[in-house]
Amino acid sequence: MEGNNVTRRTVLRGVAAGGGTLAVSGQAAGSSTTFDTHTKITFRAIVDAVLPETPGLEDSLGAEHVPGGLAVDLEAFLITYANDLFTFGLPYVGEVGNIPIASPVAAVLDLAAKELLAEGDNEDEPSVDRPLSLLEPEDESAWVVRFVAGTFAKLSRRDRLRAIGLLDGYELELSPVSGTVFEADAGLVGQLVVGFAEVIYYSEWEGYDEFTQPPSQREHANDPAEVQSWRQTGYPGFSDGYAALRGYVGTPDGPLGGGDVWTEIDDDGAVLVTRDSGHFRENDYDTSDYEEPYPEGA
Amino acid sequence: MVASEYDAVIVGAGGDGPVAAWKLAEAGLSVLVLEAGPFHGNEKWPKPHEDPGGEASSSIEDLSGELLDEQFTTREFEMVNKLIFGPADHERGFYFRKFPGDGAILQCSGVGGTTLHYTGNHPRAYPASIDEQGHWPIDYADLVPYYQEIEEMCEVAPAPVTAKEELFFRGAAAAGWDLLDELNVTEPGYRPQPNAIRQPDEKLHVDADYDGDFQYPEVEGDTLALGNIAGNPHPRGAPFEEKAKRASNISFVPPALKTGNVTIRPNAFVTDIHTDTWFGDDPSATGVEFRDTWSGDKEDVEAEVVVLAAGAIETPRLWKNADLPENDWVGSGMTIHFGDNVMGLFEGADLDGTLGTDTVDQFQGQDIAARFDYPGLGMLQTVGTTPGLGAILGFGASASGFTFQNDTSDAPWDTMGRLAGRELKETLAEYRRMLQILVVSDDRPHERNGVTVVPGVSDENGSIPLVNYVPSDGDKKRRDELAEIAAEILREAGASHVHRSDSPPTALHVQSTMRMGKVVDTACEAYDVDRLFVADHSALANSVGGVNPTNTGQALAARTAEKIVDRYF
Ligand SMILES: Cc1cc2nc3c(=O)[nH]c(=O)nc-3n(C[C@H](O)[C@H](O)[C@H](O)COP(=O)(O)OP(=O)(O)OC[C@H]3O[C@@H](n4cnc5c(N)ncnc54)[C@H](O)[C@@H]3O)c2cc1C
Repeated sequence: MEGNNVTRRTVLRGVAAGGGTLAVSGQAAGSSTTFDTHTKITFRAIVDAVLPETPGLEDSLGAEHVPGGLAVDLEAFLITYANDLFTFGLPYVGEVGNIPIASPVAAVLDLAAKELLAEGDNEDEPSVDRPLSLLEPEDESAWVVRFVAGTFAKLSRRDRLRAIGLLDGYELELSPVSGTVFEADAGLVGQLVVGFAEVIYYSEWEGYDEFTQPPSQREHANDPAEVQSWRQTGYPGFSDGYAALRGYVGTPDGPLGGGDVWTEIDDDGAVLVTRDSGHFRENDYDTSDYEEPYPEGA
Repeated sequence: MVASEYDAVIVGAGGDGPVAAWKLAEAGLSVLVLEAGPFHGNEKWPKPHEDPGGEASSSIEDLSGELLDEQFTTREFEMVNKLIFGPADHERGFYFRKFPGDGAILQCSGVGGTTLHYTGNHPRAYPASIDEQGHWPIDYADLVPYYQEIEEMCEVAPAPVTAKEELFFRGAAAAGWDLLDELNVTEPGYRPQPNAIRQPDEKLHVDADYDGDFQYPEVEGDTLALGNIAGNPHPRGAPFEEKAKRASNISFVPPALKTGNVTIRPNAFVTDIHTDTWFGDDPSATGVEFRDTWSGDKEDVEAEVVVLAAGAIETPRLWKNADLPENDWVGSGMTIHFGDNVMGLFEGADLDGTLGTDTVDQFQGQDIAARFDYPGLGMLQTVGTTPGLGAILGFGASASGFTFQNDTSDAPWDTMGRLAGRELKETLAEYRRMLQILVVSDDRPHERNGVTVVPGVSDENGSIPLVNYVPSDGDKKRRDELAEIAAEILREAGASHVHRSDSPPTALHVQSTMRMGKVVDTACEAYDVDRLFVADHSALANSVGGVNPTNTGQALAARTAEKIVDRYF
């Protein structure tokens, strides 16, 4: 990488023993509170980029489409979830055997943000006003945020996404238990902060009293009134069934379909949806004139 | 109590393991099935993710539809977390595997394996993929009787039409494709899915004014409420064996238990294969070592034959960790049906014209009920998803960055890439007027693709699998052509906006890592280790043409069970 002193490799050293502490090389030394605050600010910036508040959608789609992930505290759950995601399996120790990755993920995003800036691929100038604008009343004071916020949180929303996009080209070195280092593609980070943020947000997650409870003790009302994203997608909640059967596709003479015609699929009535089902044909087959559309190279 | 000796030990109770167990037990053999994950819907484990529960189950009386109803909540996020490959204990995370890019491997643990996620599509391989592509040492005709046996056990039948299938069929017909009505497909065309899901009660016809509560026995069969990826326990109230979706826990586990010769031991992760060298050079399998995932205790069990059915990632991993003879093809040649997603967005008024309703409502009907076949390229299938899974599978990942980074002015799609931010919210706001098509390509086995292990990079079960996948030019071209066909079908159906994900490699279907002809012989016995058989999708010699692999994996497992009896009993 030219003109860039950020290393492409960052070491996530997961010393998963003894409760799972993690150190990140290339990261300014700091107290664990500093790490926690940095992680929180960074995850807030992630959620703000992936599932933003969108006042611009009020006129076209309606007021229910305005709030984003921060309105439902998605960032807090995403941190918990990231930290419980993988087990390297220290036997007998339950959840403390999980490898907490939220803080290293935040650090990796700062590296990606620095690379974006070094390459000059950002469209907007970074600014500490951005993490400050995501502050909530009960939060740390503004000066703490100024001090701790990383480069990623200072980028504009689009530039944050661009930075995430650089991660597929990264290799991470992970050291799960034994001290042996191996590489994992940092695409994992992008998957976590984009893919997982999306699946959690649009799923039933918000509707639980407490998702971290044992499964048999979780309560879920299955009501769009309790799930912001369901109101935004129009998903009505889970159902035991729908009377949605239109019939079976078939032809007038073939074995598929049968009974009354419900509708015609093509203009000349050659393909129909019928009331009853038919069956597939156990046909003779001949593959002798098969040709490879795209043969594999020699 | 699990005995110390059996005729056969089967590693894994996933899609294929229970088929082998049933066939071997029918032949009178005593069978132990060791499964890494939990056993849902079984009275010995009333809270399978919270308490270790009982030890093993050998009676059909243990199965409970009521418990399955309780445990399979159909809530998508919760269920995916319950089912994805990891220890049963809900406090512990998934097992980590290395996979390239921002793609992922989707595999389940638990009795039923990845068929707990699967959407019940049960087509046969394309005959040409077996007979003409040069990978298989046996003929398609050899498989046909086993397909018939499996299809009968799984009650495979044409899938029902709801709004989303009707929309797809209209698009495919308008694009000039023919309707296919056969099981052995040699030409391109569209079809209803041959699904291993009982057809819905006719009371559920849109014209029949049903207003009941979709409970068994008032309704039998599928209730058209999606949810197959989340386990599908419908119809609610039905006994275990009367659940509509014939995943292997429903279709093959009950008949296996009914023989009285099968014991299933969940929460048992096999970590080693024991061998002995009696005569000549080749070692013979004599048993396995397994680890209780709750207590960590290890046990050994002996057997006349060992059958590996841990799936196409874990079977080669176990081989490598067990220090069996080196064979370059163990773990190599993996195919994943290199896939993609093409999405159509529709205007309400246009839908009203074609469907008579102004929404598609993808959450109604079966998840995947319509398909397009193209031997030589692969297949397309319609997909209905709940919004969370739809977001991650359809929009959450891309090999070409975010939509705003891609110029699509000359492309057959209006947008391409990963969606996030305002664009994501705008698109998901159209959830009820969206039709998603999954592109599934006939990728070919390449030696570079597959599973390796590195000593020292391990979890509690040994060195973890490091998975590599790089498609060839041919694989990419097959996928591109299918994506173009999908876009055209969506346009013909009236889509006002077409979006292509350009998904990164994502492994929903994983096969061919212990290929017949390379690692195992035509009876699926390892060339290098006697009495060691493979009865899961890793034994497939290629990607079976890009069609859903489970019918073929199960047919082959049934055939392998017969060969085992012929050779050793
Ligand atoms: C969302 C989704 C939808 C799908 N839909 C379809 C579909 O409609 N049609 C279709 O044909 N296919 C479908 N598939 C794919 C299909 O589910 C798999 O191809 C099939 O289940 C593979 O069967 P298998 O026996 O090879 O492996 P699996 O079903 O993965 O079974 C392997 C089993 O072995 C256990 N195991 C692993 N390691 C060990 C060990 N060391 N010791 C003990 N046990 C172990 C696992 O826990 C698991 O239960 C789908 C997959 C996904 C993810």
